[in-house]
Amino acid sequence: MSENIKFTVDGKELEGQSGELLIEACEKSGIHIPRFCWHKRLEPVGMCRMCLVEVETPRGKALVPSCTTEITEDLVVDTESEIVTKAQEGILEFLLINHPLDCPVCDKAGECPLQDQTMAYGPGESRFVEEKRHFEKPIPISEVILLDRERCILCARCTRFSDEISGDPLIEFIQRGNKTEVNTFPNEPFRSYFSGNTVQICPVGALTSTSYRFKARPWDLKKVSSTCNCCSVGCSIELNTSQNKMLRILGEDNEFTNQGWLSDKGRYNFDFLHSENRVLNILNKSEDSFNEISIAEATVKIKDKINELDNPNIKFLIGSHSTNEEYFVINEVANYLNKDKFLSRDSSNVYFSDDLLFNGYFDDEYSKAKLEDLDSSETIVVWCEDIKDNLPILYLRIKKAVKNGAKLIVFGHTNTAIAGLADFYFGKGIVSNKFDLIVNPSEIEDLKNNTQGKKVTVIAGKSTVFQKKESLDKLINYLNESSELKVFNSFSKGNTFGALQNIDEVKGLNEFCNEFDNDAKNIVFTVGVNPVNSSHFAQPIKEILISSDFVVSMDLFINETTELADLILPTTSLGEKEGTITNMEMRVMKQNKILPAPGSTLSEWEYLTAILNILGGDVQYRNENEINSFLVKEYKDQQQVATFDNLNKPSNLFGVINRKEININTKDLHEDTFSLLMVRRLYGDSSTQINSPSISMLGAERFIELNSETAKKFGIKSQFGNLVQGSNSILINIDINEFLPDGLVVAPINRRGFENVDPSKEFEITEAKNREELSVN
Amino acid sequence: MTWDTKLIEKANEIIELYPQKRSALGPLLYLAQEKEGYIDDDSVVEISKLIGITEVQVRSVASFYTMYKQEPTGQYLLSVCKSISCEINNSRELINNIKEFTGLANNETDEDKTFTFEEVECIGACGGAPAVQVNYETVEGVTPTKALELCKYLKEEVPKVIVADELQEKFGGVKSFDWGIEDNSGTSSTAPGFQIIGTAEEK
Ligand code: SF4
Ligand code: SF4
Ligand code: FES
Ligand code: FES
Repeated sequence: MSENIKFTVDGKELEGQSGELLIEACEKSGIHIPRFCWHKRLEPVGMCRMCLVEVETPRGKALVPSCTTEITEDLVVDTESEIVTKAQEGILEFLLINHPLDCPVCDKAGECPLQDQTMAYGPGESRFVEEKRHFEKPIPISEVILLDRERCILCARCTRFSDEISGDPLIEFIQRGNKTEVNTFPNEPFRSYFSGNTVQICPVGALTSTSYRFKARPWDLKKVSSTCNCCSVGCSIELNTSQNKMLRILGEDNEFTNQGWLSDKGRYNFDFLHSENRVLNILNKSEDSFNEISIAEATVKIKDKINELDNPNIKFLIGSHSTNEEYFVINEVANYLNKDKFLSRDSSNVYFSDDLLFNGYFDDEYSKAKLEDLDSSETIVVWCEDIKDNLPILYLRIKKAVKNGAKLIVFGHTNTAIAGLADFYFGKGIVSNKFDLIVNPSEIEDLKNNTQGKKVTVIAGKSTVFQKKESLDKLINYLNESSELKVFNSFSKGNTFGALQNIDEVKGLNEFCNEFDNDAKNIVFTVGVNPVNSSHFAQPIKEILISSDFVVSMDLFINETTELADLILPTTSLGEKEGTITNMEMRVMKQNKILPAPGSTLSEWEYLTAILNILGGDVQYRNENEINSFLVKEYKDQQQVATFDNLNKPSNLFGVINRKEININTKDLHEDTFSLLMVRRLYGDSSTQINSPSISMLGAERFIELNSETAKKFGIKSQFGNLVQGSNSILINIDINEFLPDGLVVAPINRRGFENVDPSKEFEITEAKNREELSVN
Repeated sequence: MTWDTKLIEKANEIIELYPQKRSALGPLLYLAQEKEGYIDDDSVVEISKLIGITEVQVRSVASFYTMYKQEPTGQYLLSVCKSISCEINNSRELINNIKEFTGLANNETDEDKTFTFEEVECIGACGGAPAVQVNYETVEGVTPTKALELCKYLKEEVPKVIVADELQEKFGGVKSFDWGIEDNSGTSSTAPGFQIIGTAEEK
């Protein structure tokens, strides 16, 4: 237990907690001590000495770094004495000895702690006349990050981040003394899902990102807080724009979610907003080409089509990038068309596009987990799709909890990336290649010993579309009975939980395919979703869309799905629309608008209300705020509803946890034979990523994973090969992963080249001799 | 070059000695240095695989300590002390002489790979300052002229084995105390310690 401690700083008596660092305790009381290396989310190292203060000791006053000194009872500190000032001037003079005079061409200028602190605490003059140290300026240390070693002040923030926080220490200090530099190992670039965080925390302009380099000056930026929608963690972000262009996304330190960090996907996936490929006008298909029409023409066309087809089946395929407000309107339109007035069907026919959607553990018998529960859990159990790739910041939170002593138990076979972190990895022998539990959970000793009667958080979801829910039930129900369990339903995609909460009944893609009646007349609305790419159901959905009588797509780009549409309604995206989203904790957070909607794009809700109105519905929403005021009525906790006003209060930027009824209606796939495990990778071929030049190359690598036993069976010795299925042959890198069971081969589902791979059919792997052969084809 | 099975076996024996694999990093770097005379990238890759840390972490340690060499050294590594005791006993002139003779600046190796010259911090022979090491064999009380003679001797005679006592007799002066380490393994531990570029064995 930490106790209250009294100490004195600059003559003022302050209070803090035992164990607290002096720099932090002072900060809380409003006394700012300058610093470079200290960062509240990293272990203190005392590298830069900028935070020196004078403390009274039995042997007189002494200078100590306040970032490595813990406060003690009756400590007397001086942060502004003559000696301290002299020390600060000295440290800055030393730091500037080798620092280039780059400010006019440095991305950091204007928000640079070195600039700012030199102004505030520096000597004002340099006595250094000798030649400065020189390094080649900037060197790329990965596809997205550049390093200018001359500007580096050796604070070790970047190296500590990559070691302590993200666990991929691919950058380190090399050499010593005057020659010390940060660098990578030759041919081993800083390829990390989290590398952009180092750019954000570097206190100088040594680390810069390719996407922002030379783009703007901080004082020209317009900024607004918002929420990232790349995965269902819902990280707090700050959008930076200039002249109506998104230039940068920064992580905000939200204690409850991302704690300052972002994945590179969340950070750099925004160039697409200004891509020339973006659809900016309503496109109407006539013959085989698209022509532009107005919104009035478009709505009339939809109305005519619905009338003409005379009681058609109308289905909505929805994605994860809509806001809660948009889902609310989708629900209204779907209800209106199908249930209420128009067609009188008994179901609303809304299908959520995530292969791994299943009925989930939402009943009252399961307590719902929050991210902070990970920190207080004794054991964390993971059985779901690959967390590092699909919920990257959840991975960081798990890593942090494990570092602080939580036990981690991982079930196979998709989370091999965190197997190394785990205390127990239950792969082959416990989980079959078809993702059944072979062993009764109560008979797994290590599981029992670490969960029985303990505080456990489980992250549960389908690892593959083929997995039976029953197998998950076995584990979850066992844990629910034997431990103090909290459950995360691992639906990783963007605002999945917003869709689940705001739509009366949600079905999956399997249901979409099964319920489609080819003999009837069919209209399909796709709303911000591209299931013809990167889905197990891609092929049948493609066929359905082709054979449908009328397809309306709302999206940003012409892609595999929208190219099949009769009408494309171009929509808005991150920063161009306002609304709330709900993360995996059911925390409702705000997305804010900072950019105008480009071209004649409208938000999904605007199209939907227009459609509703022309069909005779009478809703008149003027803005997202009004929609929000309707949807909050269904929240369970009416004291704490997440309205725009409420969420935009500075005190509430962390969001509000609130729940609604959730009704998911999915069934397992019938077939359960598959030879290839297709998994979703962080980077892939989504239309947003391939239209974002600064990260488009990150999803280019084609690779498969298997264990060495399986490799032997296929007769593969080299690292390169071909995945052959019928007439389809893909050149691939072959990665050996010993956590995988024999006979299981893993391939990415969201990479170019794998579109036509059918995991339920047999395949071959043949060897390619070398990389040259790999690139020739 | 990658490591052969024998070397890997030896490495694994060393790793066994530590509760954590990564603690074996120091001794494994000695293995690499013994093998190639410096820490080459291939060895870094081998070591990183053996103890489960990244290559750049290995390189970070290897490049921090100056006695892990980043590049192949010449046949004779001349380490001349530039710290205070030697400095006040005129090591500057001695250093200049050696530099002039070899034509090398600090941390350079000549083209025919005879000499590598480095200025080092105190080598613990202050009692016999100024001090010079040839392949880490210490010679004390060396005058600027004797230093030149030492270089000439090395260049012309090209001795296969360097032994401190011999050099001391020929080129040294005042000596602090007897240096001879009886145990040739370099340290008293079972893990390999620092090895003198293959010449100590014959002592
Ligand atoms: S890092 Fe800061 S002080 Fe250095 S050149 Fe850039 S802006 Fe100027
Ligand atoms: S690159 Fe930046 S963060 Fe990394 S050590 Fe240098 S100054 Fe610090
Ligand atoms: S902030 Fe304390 S030493 Fe750097
Ligand atoms: S100062 Fe040269 S040996 Fe100590």
